[in-house]
Amino acid sequence: MKPGLALAAAQASQAAAGESDVAASPSLSQVPSSASSASLSSSPSPNPLTRLLHLASTTLPVGAFSYSQGLEWAVECGTVTDRADVERWIVDCLRWSVGRFEAPLLVAAHRAWAAGDDAQALALDGWMRATRETRELLAETLQMGYSLRRWCDDTGALDADWLARICRLDSPTYPVLFAAIAAAWGLDARTMVTVYVWSWLENQVGAALKAVPLGQTDGQRILLAAGPAVDAVADDAIARAVATGPEGWTTQCPGLAIASSCHEAQYSRLFRS
Amino acid sequence: MTAGGLRAQRASAPPPAAPEAAATPAGWDAALALAYERRGPRTVLARNLHTGPLVVQKPLYPEGEALCHTVILHPPGGIAGGDRLAVDVDAGPGAEVLLTTPGATKWYKANSRTAAQTTHLRVGANAIVEWLPLETIVFDGADARTALSVDIDGPGQVAGWEIVAFGRGAAGERFTRGRFRQALEIRRAGVLLWAEYGEVGGGDGLLQSAAGYAGRTVSGTLWVCGGSVGDAVLAACRDAARELPARARAGVTCLPSGITLARCLCDSTEQARGYLLRVWTLLRPLYAGRAAAVPRLWAT
Repeated sequence: MKPGLALAAAQASQAAAGESDVAASPSLSQVPSSASSASLSSSPSPNPLTRLLHLASTTLPVGAFSYSQGLEWAVECGTVTDRADVERWIVDCLRWSVGRFEAPLLVAAHRAWAAGDDAQALALDGWMRATRETRELLAETLQMGYSLRRWCDDTGALDADWLARICRLDSPTYPVLFAAIAAAWGLDARTMVTVYVWSWLENQVGAALKAVPLGQTDGQRILLAAGPAVDAVADDAIARAVATGPEGWTTQCPGLAIASSCHEAQYSRLFRS
Repeated sequence: MTAGGLRAQRASAPPPAAPEAAATPAGWDAALALAYERRGPRTVLARNLHTGPLVVQKPLYPEGEALCHTVILHPPGGIAGGDRLAVDVDAGPGAEVLLTTPGATKWYKANSRTAAQTTHLRVGANAIVEWLPLETIVFDGADARTALSVDIDGPGQVAGWEIVAFGRGAAGERFTRGRFRQALEIRRAGVLLWAEYGEVGGGDGLLQSAAGYAGRTVSGTLWVCGGSVGDAVLAACRDAARELPARARAGVTCLPSGITLARCLCDSTEQARGYLLRVWTLLRPLYAGRAAAVPRLWAT
């Protein structure tokens, strides 16, 4: 992007950010009246529904589809063999792993970014990194964080101020950067965490379809069945983020950690984790 | 320890007749503070302070005078609801220390009070600390909180393990009630390198879930910070899992921060200890510069 355009984009995006008090309302049906103000730049739509659909989309170029988070090894070793096993594995990982640490951390990071407490966002980034159970799981969040920052740089999705803020993170983890974008775009925490967890779920189901393999209908059934767990995890993440900090969240899923460790040495594999 | 400080040892308190009877009304506090110094070729236990029932046996030097073996005793034999234990180990620059226990750490059924153990290891520059206690047994109904924090100064090296049995498996007991919380934090020069926080409620789905404890009653984790683990040693560590029964699960990973982790899920503490010992045997030459020698205490 040319400097002049970047400036225009930044100004337009600031204008959009000015409307974010309205946009931050939990109701997705509100459409700000000045929807045309950002239409010629690459800043996000003033409609929160449009913005969240964008963040939730599998077209977000962060490479999520290339990770199975140990699921591929769980299939390889016979722990997961059919649709019922996949559903159990994914919902358990959602409840006990993503829901107990990553999701509350995402909410806390959103709060920190929104409050201008960048030091806290940086500290949470350190917690995310230090709690990754294996080399592959750490590499995954760092690669996705790297790609998401490039997306911010390349698309003008964030204004200059926000770009400067996130650039203070040295190799950011994915959820901390995701929270920055959600905060910059005025999405509320509950909406953000639902989007994040749903994307995680879709990606896990996508991995299962290839690794087991399963048919599309099976995948859709798993998504339907896991829906309530997504909502429960989102509610729980808000509560945990309010109640305590990282020391009070939990990370211990030994079966998942072992699956991911073994995946690192798996001879033939489709996925990077 | 909490702000209440340490209370004097109640020398007259008898060992508990039964686990449920172990708790005194206010719980039983115990604290141990050990400091080691390197004096020439020898590591000496330079300070040994204790309150309550936590003591060490006379230091041993089965592997030569550079490495001080220390056995930590908790004479009551188990930790009851309300008890609080604190162990603080300070290894000065160049000191080399191996700490272990003579028996399992037992968390008894709680009498509606939480029991806690906090352990802090400070590893001075070029010091080596090995924290290798025997297993922890979480009795059905226990309510316990354990926290281990490790602070490494610059180039110090540290290794440790934790073997946890949920319920007295040999007696057919399962962990159906209560709560067990674990925290492990490793920092180097104040920067958090690795942390793991666990919380398991009795009867939780996590105990049966394939992503959790997979229906195995014993979990083991070995963590090593220091030494460079090459591909050949990593492969050998992974091969160590082949000697476990088919039902057991085990995996090894090396993080870019220099921490190597071996984890296992087994049906007995013997399986878990055997596996972790095999991995430790492969890694010890890398971080400690000496071959593994199994303390005689464990040979029972």
